[in-house]
Amino acid sequence: MTTGFKTTLMEVLDGSPKHTASRYVEWMITLVVLVNCSAVILDSVPEIHAEFKDFFHELEFWSVMFFTVEYIARVWSLGAKYSRENGGSWKGRFEYMFSAFGLVDFFATMPHYMHMFFPALDLRILRVLRLLRILKLSKYNTALQDLFHAIHSERQAFGSAVFLLTIATIVSASLMHFAEGHHQPEFFGTIPHSIYWSIVTITSGYGNVEPLTKAGEAIALITGFLGVCMAAIMTGIVASAFSNQVARKKAAFEAQLREVFKDGNMSDEEQETLRRLQAHYRLSDEQVEAMMLRAKNKSSAND
Amino acid sequence: MTTAVPTPSTYQRIKRRTFEIMEGEVPDKYSHFVEIFIALLVVANVIGIILESVPEIHEAFEHEFHLFDMFSVAVFSVEFVMRVWSYSEKYIHSGGTAWDGRKEYVFSFYGIIDFVSTVPFYLQLLFPGADLRVLRMFRLMRIFKLSRYNSAFEDMVAAVKAEKDSFSSAVFLLFISCLLFSSLIYIIEGHEQPEIFPSIPAAMHWFVITIISGWGNVDPVTFVGTILVIFTQILSIALAAILTGVVATAYTAQVERRQALYEMEVRNVLSDGVVTEEEQAQLKIMQAKLGMSDEQVEAIKHQMEEEKQISDANKQVK
Repeated sequence: MTTGFKTTLMEVLDGSPKHTASRYVEWMITLVVLVNCSAVILDSVPEIHAEFKDFFHELEFWSVMFFTVEYIARVWSLGAKYSRENGGSWKGRFEYMFSAFGLVDFFATMPHYMHMFFPALDLRILRVLRLLRILKLSKYNTALQDLFHAIHSERQAFGSAVFLLTIATIVSASLMHFAEGHHQPEFFGTIPHSIYWSIVTITSGYGNVEPLTKAGEAIALITGFLGVCMAAIMTGIVASAFSNQVARKKAAFEAQLREVFKDGNMSDEEQETLRRLQAHYRLSDEQVEAMMLRAKNKSSAND
Repeated sequence: MTTAVPTPSTYQRIKRRTFEIMEGEVPDKYSHFVEIFIALLVVANVIGIILESVPEIHEAFEHEFHLFDMFSVAVFSVEFVMRVWSYSEKYIHSGGTAWDGRKEYVFSFYGIIDFVSTVPFYLQLLFPGADLRVLRMFRLMRIFKLSRYNSAFEDMVAAVKAEKDSFSSAVFLLFISCLLFSSLIYIIEGHEQPEIFPSIPAAMHWFVITIISGWGNVDPVTFVGTILVIFTQILSIALAAILTGVVATAYTAQVERRQALYEMEVRNVLSDGVVTEEEQAQLKIMQAKLGMSDEQVEAIKHQMEEEKQISDANKQVK
């Protein structure tokens, strides 16, 4: 009896499409998180804080209760993830507690209790930890995970871009320090100071400080131009990461398509399979249509 | 009107012709003329609105501007009425009622634009006390009439729609980083620069400016603040890159789909071995509709012919 309930609760909290309740739970958590984050933001405005202090306090208390119940329910129900032979109930629980989402869930709730026991704690750190709750939402955004996968697969290219950025920053900062250090010691007096200037210039194309010497002007221009190049390199890497990811998914989908078109006609069942695959790979209708047309073109060319 | 009449009356013929000219589906001289005339009038209108906002020009040519606006409103009103009237033809042959086509037009994007950019003028005639700035804004909506003749706007919307998952995740990323970074900078620098970071909303303003331009007009005072600002600036490049990448992928997918569609049409045309005059025209229309360049079309045709030769050679061998 309890085991059945535990499994159901685990599936519902995990967002499994088997139960309609899982969607409501997802919406509920999203709503509470959004209300919470808005409250933290509004609470920082002195006028609003003065007027609604008690309300925000109440809200915080009830949200912490809500998140605590959620956390406990997750930990308890994940005991059903592995059977006794596969490691027992604590294996699933520890797995969750030390995963990224589990840590976020923990740190989004725990500071409130810390504050109860140690009232002398710095309030500002508590606020940052409260904002971590927004990260709870990323669990429900699978497209975001896709994005990170795409970027992760191009990490070498990213690494070299960051390397280039570092070199460009250090070289331009040191040059600027030698050219302008004596004229504007408050901005270029040390190389770490000029590093800040060169990052601003690389990212925005225009620095926070105007150079005074001719040499400084030339270096500023070149640094600004480097910024444009950096943006182009980064864009190129991300774009190719995306298209590589799409190409991988397409190759898998196309293999399935070819299988379907082999016998010449498409049954309802096959159509259903393709639709499910399309949703799984997150391919747009346009891409699928293009692939289908191409597959048809090919099969008619072979005839 | 809904009953099928074997021989259409003159009234219906005129209506059908008006619909064809307005819709511009069938390429002919008159619809081309109407298109160019309306497009030019829209461009002149927009230039007029821009010039009118300069006080000296406004004073010198107030009367001329007024006359021109009256003329444009008259033309656009006639255009709107003619469209509503003639769009009853749209579904008449496929079994719909006259009001199906009209309703579709009136509630479409262009129908609403046509309406909104013209009607405020009449409102002003009826209620002369209306705010002129609001009216001017509505008049600027006329520029959207141009997008009917250019698929760029639709392409963009379609691309965003096709990649809505990636877009929403990029926006989500932006949202999360906005919240986290602006709260962090508020907590770290709020005490040092209370006039710039008095609250998290103020810090969010700083964050958005930094993400867009790379530098938010504020220099951090503390060491941790500097590190945070540097991270934000690098994030601004990364986010721009992600958005660009998403759009680029979406566009590539669209171009691919069009090429595949066109390829299929060419294959159909070439299947019987001869290309008739009619088929040639059909391909031309298709090329214009899909917005493909002559080079792309040439490449596809060339490829088709090569494939055909190869398959012919294969047949001879057999």
